[in-house]
Amino acid sequence: MSSRSEKLWNYVILTVMALIVLWPVGTFLAASLSPDRAGRPSSDLQWGNFVTAWNDAEFARSMTVSLIITVVVVVVGVLLALLGGYAFGVLGVVGERFLFPVILLGMMVSLEVIIVPLYYQFRTIGLTNNLFGVMLIHLGMGVPFGVFWMRAAFRALPRAVFESAELDGAGPLRMLWSIAVPNLMPAVYTLILLSFMWTWNDYFLSLVFLHGDNQTATVALGVFQGKFVTQINLMAAGGLIVAAPVLILYVIFQRKFISGMLAGAIKE
Amino acid sequence: MAIPDLGVAAGRPASGDTAATELIVTGGKRRRTSRARRRSRRVGLLFALPGLALYAGVVLWPMVQSIQYSFYKWDGVSASVWVGFQNYVNFFTDPVLRSTLGNVLVLLVFFAVLPIALGLFSAALITRSRQPGMAVYRWIFFLPQVLTSVVTALLFKRMYAPEGPINEALRAVGLDALAKNWLGDFTWALPAVGLIGTWVTFGFCMVLFISGASSISTDLYEAARMDGAGPIREFVSVTLPGLRGQIAVALTLTITAALRAFDLIWITTRGGPGTSTQTPAVALYKAAFVNPNVGQAAAIGVVMAMLCLAIALIITRISERE
Repeated sequence: MSSRSEKLWNYVILTVMALIVLWPVGTFLAASLSPDRAGRPSSDLQWGNFVTAWNDAEFARSMTVSLIITVVVVVVGVLLALLGGYAFGVLGVVGERFLFPVILLGMMVSLEVIIVPLYYQFRTIGLTNNLFGVMLIHLGMGVPFGVFWMRAAFRALPRAVFESAELDGAGPLRMLWSIAVPNLMPAVYTLILLSFMWTWNDYFLSLVFLHGDNQTATVALGVFQGKFVTQINLMAAGGLIVAAPVLILYVIFQRKFISGMLAGAIKE
Repeated sequence: MAIPDLGVAAGRPASGDTAATELIVTGGKRRRTSRARRRSRRVGLLFALPGLALYAGVVLWPMVQSIQYSFYKWDGVSASVWVGFQNYVNFFTDPVLRSTLGNVLVLLVFFAVLPIALGLFSAALITRSRQPGMAVYRWIFFLPQVLTSVVTALLFKRMYAPEGPINEALRAVGLDALAKNWLGDFTWALPAVGLIGTWVTFGFCMVLFISGASSISTDLYEAARMDGAGPIREFVSVTLPGLRGQIAVALTLTITAALRAFDLIWITTRGGPGTSTQTPAVALYKAAFVNPNVGQAAAIGVVMAMLCLAIALIITRISERE
């Protein structure tokens, strides 16, 4: 009944909400291209703002730091998740009735709870202001979701997959490889995307642990905006530079981001 | 960790590789011996060990240490002094620290109540009208979830600035009197920061509800329509009960997000003006790294963890009743 007007109203309401959500993003975009220091929108598009911001904030260095941390964490994290997921999902693990819930608990632990001892312990062993130290923390905190995610993927596979891999007479490591590569790539891609996003977007951990030349892009952006309060256009350009890598991935892989984050929230 | 190899004692080949292979072969033949399974589980432990060790080292062990730290007074440099429960008592008696909990209560409205209400509303609109273009709205509403928090904070610093778009819009419609420096105002800074949380979280709630609604049986909707229920009745009597589980998840996540709010607040207001937007996480950061009172910081962390755990347990309990 009256379904046409209802549908129209749906579009109207959703569009108004979408405009409200996009309002801050739109003004930010406009500001980043504006010649005006206050960031007022202008039809005279200044693409050079991005170059100026890149140079003034020395993003070359901090973006490199972010990229190194992110790539290492993603690669090693996926390997750990594959090993752990295969163990808990296929092989079974001694003490898994105890170990698996303990791992799931980790998905609820927030960084705030552990940051204080982490910092002071890492300080005594010289791992503060050290990329390796930050990578270790990212990796350890990523284990719960990684194992949970890959375990579910392994368990969803039909038995026949294991039997055919078995015919090759492979050991567990070869089996893991010959099963994972052909059958689990969609799950692995999702894990890669989420892990990339979480590591790249991190602010708190980097703020506490990394200073000076070791600053990540997010922390460097925080410093930059404090120095350039009067140059809104450059600040906005810098913000877009830092947000760009994840945004581009989101544009391409929207579905994977959403499905992965939902699975992480619901936990089965 | 040394694992005694029972397989060898029983006169079987010792290679871990064969153990796992055996599991799958015999499993396929429905003759899975418990011995083969035990061996496979030991190989499994070996596989899981690197991740488990790292997790134990950087998550579990510091959790235990947090509790230990919380019983000491320590400035991060000189010797620490045992103070018993003093840091916990402080958290609930010190006016500034205690006020962080009050701020969280206000933030709950913006981080939890509003996003869930808006999420339910938009999810209902999107699922009811199976029209083209809904994916675009989903894309837009979820977008704030993937933006790094620093950029989100900057977006809104600009929105709320004295000469920013919000004030300009107010002046444009003649409401000059309402224009103000939102983030610098003792009354308005907290709701202003809270609305950033609404902006970030509601798309996530919506997507969660859409996925939940897709598993509600269409028979229920048809039955409701047969009874002549309009969109609102249908929503209240079919959709809402069907989304119980998802609402519980959303509540848990959003309430803990309010309790843990740090990045957005640190970049927009640093907890100010005064302490009007200070959350437990901001207080923790200040106590840990700005004016080191490390034991106090650890105690705040422990209280936050316990509150998060309690909230999760209570919500699960309630949602699973019946």
